[in-house]
Amino acid sequence: MEIVFLLEQVINGLLLGGYYLLIALGLSLIFSLGGVVNLAHGAFYALGAYLSVEVTKRLGFGGALVVAPVMVGVVGMLFERFLLRRFYSADPILSLLLTFGLGMVGEQAIRMIWGASPLQASIPAIFKGQVIVGDFLYSKYRLLMLGVVFLVLTGIWLLLNKTSFGRVVRAGVQKPDMVAVLGIRLQPYMTTIVVLGVGLAALAGVLFAPISGVHPAMGTEIMTAAFVVVVIGGLGSFWGVVLAALLVGVVRGITIHFYAPAGEASMYLLMLGVLLFRPRGLLGERIERFE
Amino acid sequence: MNKKYYPLAIGALALIVLPFALQALGLTLTSSTDVVIFAIAAMGLNLLVGYTGLTSFGHGAWFGLGAYAAALSQKYWFPGQFVLPFLFSLLFIAALASVVGFLILRRRGVYFSLLTLALSALTFAIAFRWTAFTGGESGLGGIVRPVIGPFNLDDPATYLAVVSVIGFIVLFLLLRVTRSPFGHVIVAIRENEQRATFQGYDTHKYKLAVFVLSATVTGLAGALLVFHHRIASAEPTSVAFSGELLAIVVIGGMRSFLGPALGALFYILAREMLSMRTENWLFWFGLAFVGFILFSPNGLVGIWARLQRRWRPVAEDIAAMSKRRIYEGLPLPAFLRPPAQTGMVLEVEKINKHFGGIRAVSDSRLTLHAGQIHALIGPNGAGKTTTFNLISGMFAPDSGTVRLNGREIQGLPPHRICRQGLARSFQITNLFRGLPIYENLRLSLQAQHPGSFNVWRDIDSYPQIHAETAELMKFLGLEGIEDTEGGELSYGGQRLVDLGIALGSKPQVLLMDEPLAGLAAAERERVSHLVKTIASNIPVLIVEHDIDRVLGFSQRVTVMNEGSVLMAGTPEEARADQRVQEVYTGSGTPPVTGRMAGEAKTRPQLLRFEGVNAFYGKSHILNDATLEVREGEIVALLGRNGAGKSTLLKALTGLLKPASGKIEFAGLDIAGMQAPDIARLGIGYVPQGRGLFAGMTVAENLALGRLARPTDGSQGVVWDEAQILKFFPRLKERMQTPADYLSGGEQQMVAVARALSGNVRLLLLDEPFEGLAPAVVQELFTLFDQLRSQVSILIVEHNLDLVLALADRVFALERGAVFHEGPAEPLLTDLSYRKQILWL
Repeated sequence: MEIVFLLEQVINGLLLGGYYLLIALGLSLIFSLGGVVNLAHGAFYALGAYLSVEVTKRLGFGGALVVAPVMVGVVGMLFERFLLRRFYSADPILSLLLTFGLGMVGEQAIRMIWGASPLQASIPAIFKGQVIVGDFLYSKYRLLMLGVVFLVLTGIWLLLNKTSFGRVVRAGVQKPDMVAVLGIRLQPYMTTIVVLGVGLAALAGVLFAPISGVHPAMGTEIMTAAFVVVVIGGLGSFWGVVLAALLVGVVRGITIHFYAPAGEASMYLLMLGVLLFRPRGLLGERIERFE
Repeated sequence: MNKKYYPLAIGALALIVLPFALQALGLTLTSSTDVVIFAIAAMGLNLLVGYTGLTSFGHGAWFGLGAYAAALSQKYWFPGQFVLPFLFSLLFIAALASVVGFLILRRRGVYFSLLTLALSALTFAIAFRWTAFTGGESGLGGIVRPVIGPFNLDDPATYLAVVSVIGFIVLFLLLRVTRSPFGHVIVAIRENEQRATFQGYDTHKYKLAVFVLSATVTGLAGALLVFHHRIASAEPTSVAFSGELLAIVVIGGMRSFLGPALGALFYILAREMLSMRTENWLFWFGLAFVGFILFSPNGLVGIWARLQRRWRPVAEDIAAMSKRRIYEGLPLPAFLRPPAQTGMVLEVEKINKHFGGIRAVSDSRLTLHAGQIHALIGPNGAGKTTTFNLISGMFAPDSGTVRLNGREIQGLPPHRICRQGLARSFQITNLFRGLPIYENLRLSLQAQHPGSFNVWRDIDSYPQIHAETAELMKFLGLEGIEDTEGGELSYGGQRLVDLGIALGSKPQVLLMDEPLAGLAAAERERVSHLVKTIASNIPVLIVEHDIDRVLGFSQRVTVMNEGSVLMAGTPEEARADQRVQEVYTGSGTPPVTGRMAGEAKTRPQLLRFEGVNAFYGKSHILNDATLEVREGEIVALLGRNGAGKSTLLKALTGLLKPASGKIEFAGLDIAGMQAPDIARLGIGYVPQGRGLFAGMTVAENLALGRLARPTDGSQGVVWDEAQILKFFPRLKERMQTPADYLSGGEQQMVAVARALSGNVRLLLLDEPFEGLAPAVVQELFTLFDQLRSQVSILIVEHNLDLVLALADRVFALERGAVFHEGPAEPLLTDLSYRKQILWL
């Protein structure tokens, strides 16, 4: 019985990890190509959740799932075009400060528009209820989330590895100058990556709104967790991020099972542990300008 | 009053005026106390951010922990007391910061910032959740401010006075620290940590000390706050609050001593004034923060400085170097002369170093005797600088020993090697660019002084260090421009400062990496005299490409080629050695060639490069360079290391924007155009080191070559896959192999094929034969030879036999300018003419 229960926590942890993954992957993508650690990423996630509440009222959950990330993507495009772009070749600390400030402004803007008290978002009727798999009981909604995360992950992997878009991005991460002398402009690719990254964060916001609730500080909360994932996985590594997200989710799930209040602390301790032994994260590579 | 105590006077005045000013604005004494407390916290943080260059996103953790430590120790151990909980809090933070700092200072830059961010999040998670101990969400109340003697701390005015006095003491302490030798080293770490280690500073020790100090000062502010508001909460440990602290520092001005205090005033004023009108004052504060980062990264102080400059413009000092006073023929200052040495001072035995699969240095050996100048020469990529790096501790050798005065030093960190008496200069100047040159040199001399870690004594109370620095400046011919920043100097000036930094370490053995490179003729003469003067007192190991000059003044020579020692002996032996000659000027046996000599003149011009100047930072790399390439010819670009060959190619591709001059390609002026646009006009580039994308297959690499450029073949040449395989059949079975798994020759083939995968009218090749097996060299040679009928080629190559056999015409560069231009043929066949034009 104990084992079964533990196993259930592990699987819940994987779900949690999948949710971190959506945020951390976007963060990692923007970091790899632009060299910018986007501390405003959490604000896009929160914006996604708030917009989903608004859109759901008019177009239903299905509409929100599509429209909210697109709207956030547009905001991301403006963000890239008018702010982030100036900082790609600057001291990385400046872009950290800038995006941190923007995250702060974003959270406050949400407070101004939607107020400080949480909004309600409910699970759409067709995904209410549970399915029984063997001994396990699962909420349909969580399975839906797992499915979406899996689809997104596959999609991103295919995009990066099987398309010419992905080839340019991967090449640009390594040697932006060499890409330029082959006649390729990296700028539109960078914009796309930022739009994609913040769009993923918004998607996570939409999906998680009914479970975690919608409140102004949600962005800041998820942000630090997403950072832990990216740092454990290794800045800029696709599989590192995937591995770390699942690991963090599982460690957190198991810790919560044994001692619930330590849930959050556990992932920071995990990070410290990993960094002591692998300073660049599990699968991270040495990148000179971030040292 | 002495100018250096101005900040104290300003601080004292501000502390006195503050309560009255705020009351005039309708604010309470509580707000004044808040300002002082936040000012202390922000100044503590600035020690790390502004002075040491370590951006902490987690200082809120120290602030909050300081508060908890004071609150909890009053609650459990020292009920009703103020002083003891306050002191306990300081000790607790200092102890904890030592442990945490030791762990997270292992990382630098962005990683350090992210770790501090996580630290703050971890502290918050614990403080918020551990309700039994910290009070969790509702906070930890019940803190009392006692009566001490005649002072009732419970009275807001008295408490403000206490906080102000403590604030003033902290100000004094921080001023002492920043003015101490220690305080100058942390700034050096911000500017160039690596160089500081080569000056003999154990930078880890300094960073840890400043981290602990910074955390303690911020924690102290937290403890004051907890007595102020009589409640401790988890809020200050949150990432959000850490960000606000950082915003205070940035808004105030992070490069200035008092700036953060100004930022604290701004923060509290914004909070009090805005929160009267809106609940969301943080929105406006955040906007101000973002605005400062975008438009004035140096904060309010930076704005002030800019305004001042508008009122009283500073005289522009372009020709800084011209203001200096040069004294010819000065002897080496006495304090730089090492104690008399005899016999072997440096012995390098069978050292090896691999980078990945490349043997950078194999089984190298050399010995340096007292009283000698020992020259280390060899062509590009021979392993000379790597040898220097292995000796000086930049890298640890894979095997072998290095003995300095009989003691083994291999594998020691640079600062320990420097302390044992070995100093070096760098080939690419490596200085503290943002610091005055005087300070650059002074730091070296300070490192040799027993007080180098002193955190208390004023820098001006070390007359010996200052006297020595002044003498060294004079010796180098830098007197009169003490206050010029390192980065403001011309390239030659920077080289001199670099040499001075090494010399300031009072070495017993000095390693000089190309001290004459990039110097103008007159300066070259003067610096080589300096080198001779230095070397008559200190044994010198010198790498230099000005072979004639270096062989002229050295007693022994070691010649390296391809990572190992070719020969060692006297300069005469080196000159006479057949192998050495071959390494430098080739054997004079030309491979077959299909060139159409003399015919080129009649062809139309394709590229005209006229009067082009280009800079890396302040370094003037291309100096009115002029050259031309005609249709269907191969032009070779020759010159020593650092002459500007690769830079010229980069300026052509658009990767480096020329500062002035004209680059005309096929009738269009392409100077200033973006690299992708230039590539699409038909310039293909094969960089040194091939520039393949690792982890991507050959097919993917080639696909990227085709992606954005026109491939219709309307102009120049373009290769489709069939043609690639025709020329390089062995790539067929490699198509799906990651490019970095290929052999060097195959990689070069892919790089050439990729460059030719779009329309190309001019192909740029940077060292295409480097490190390749003879058979592959032959194959590529034949290919380029055939290509000349379809495409023009501009080639940089150090193997003279090969490149002269291939090229129609030659341009030779020195210090960024073309000094020889002519047909390749005579240089190929007439070896003495070749030597006359191209040295040795």
